[in-house]
Amino acid sequence: MVEFEVLDLEQSQVGKLKFELICQRDCVHVLHSMVEVIALRAGLTDVETNRVALAVDELFANITDHGYGDTPGRVQFESKIHINDDGMQELHFMFRDYAPVVDIQGWDCGDTTPCSAADITPGGLGMQLIHSIMDVVEHVALDDGNQWTLIYICKQGTKGVGDEA
Amino acid sequence: MKLDVAVETNDAGVVKVAVKGTVNIHTSPRLRDTLKPLFVNQNKEIHVCLSGVPFMDSSGIATLVEGLQWARQSGGRFALYDLQDTVRDVFSLAKLDSVFDIAEGSFDGNAEEGA
Repeated sequence: MVEFEVLDLEQSQVGKLKFELICQRDCVHVLHSMVEVIALRAGLTDVETNRVALAVDELFANITDHGYGDTPGRVQFESKIHINDDGMQELHFMFRDYAPVVDIQGWDCGDTTPCSAADITPGGLGMQLIHSIMDVVEHVALDDGNQWTLIYICKQGTKGVGDEA
Repeated sequence: MKLDVAVETNDAGVVKVAVKGTVNIHTSPRLRDTLKPLFVNQNKEIHVCLSGVPFMDSSGIATLVEGLQWARQSGGRFALYDLQDTVRDVFSLAKLDSVFDIAEGSFDGNAEEGA
């Protein structure tokens, strides 16, 4: 069993994962696995882990489909476990793409409740899910692309990294 | 990475579809390619078993929405069976658990009609 000696997550590499990939649909499986690893390290439940992985997958899907138009493109991804000022764990997920700057309003469906099948649009549903899961969703337009940050605050009762050590 | 979709049709126009695997932007086209030809008037009911699906994203839900639309246009029934907790949670997050016909009970047994 791996024992985590360093509990200061800000200084350690325990809670960090970082990689770069070519943005193509099949890469979502790689991304999903990485997010599951970081969520499990943070001690999230299966349902919470599924939610967090879903939100990250949805953002990746939007970058793939809407950012790069389903053509291969460069994406950098980083995740980390962060301890906030209240001592609570947060999961941070950062995407950096080099796609044309997006109009996020075009992706955002807000907090609408679909009343019928006709109300549902795939892109809008993805953003609705991201917003319903994540505590923070940030987009920064850069000169040569976009930067995205998703933050999930781990609720009370979740077990932290190093608790098993 | 593989999505298995098995289809069984009986003479009464009832179609059973069993899905096994992760449904996401990579695999949902496979589900759509299988379901779409089933959305015809000859079919009266389409029952989709999701017991083998641990994860579904919005592209999967969007694919199933096409089934809903078929049911409303044709007067047929499009029902989902045996959702795992994680997938049921996604429907709930999307506020679609009351929009879809999510049947209680087993896919192969006597199921009660859902919402």
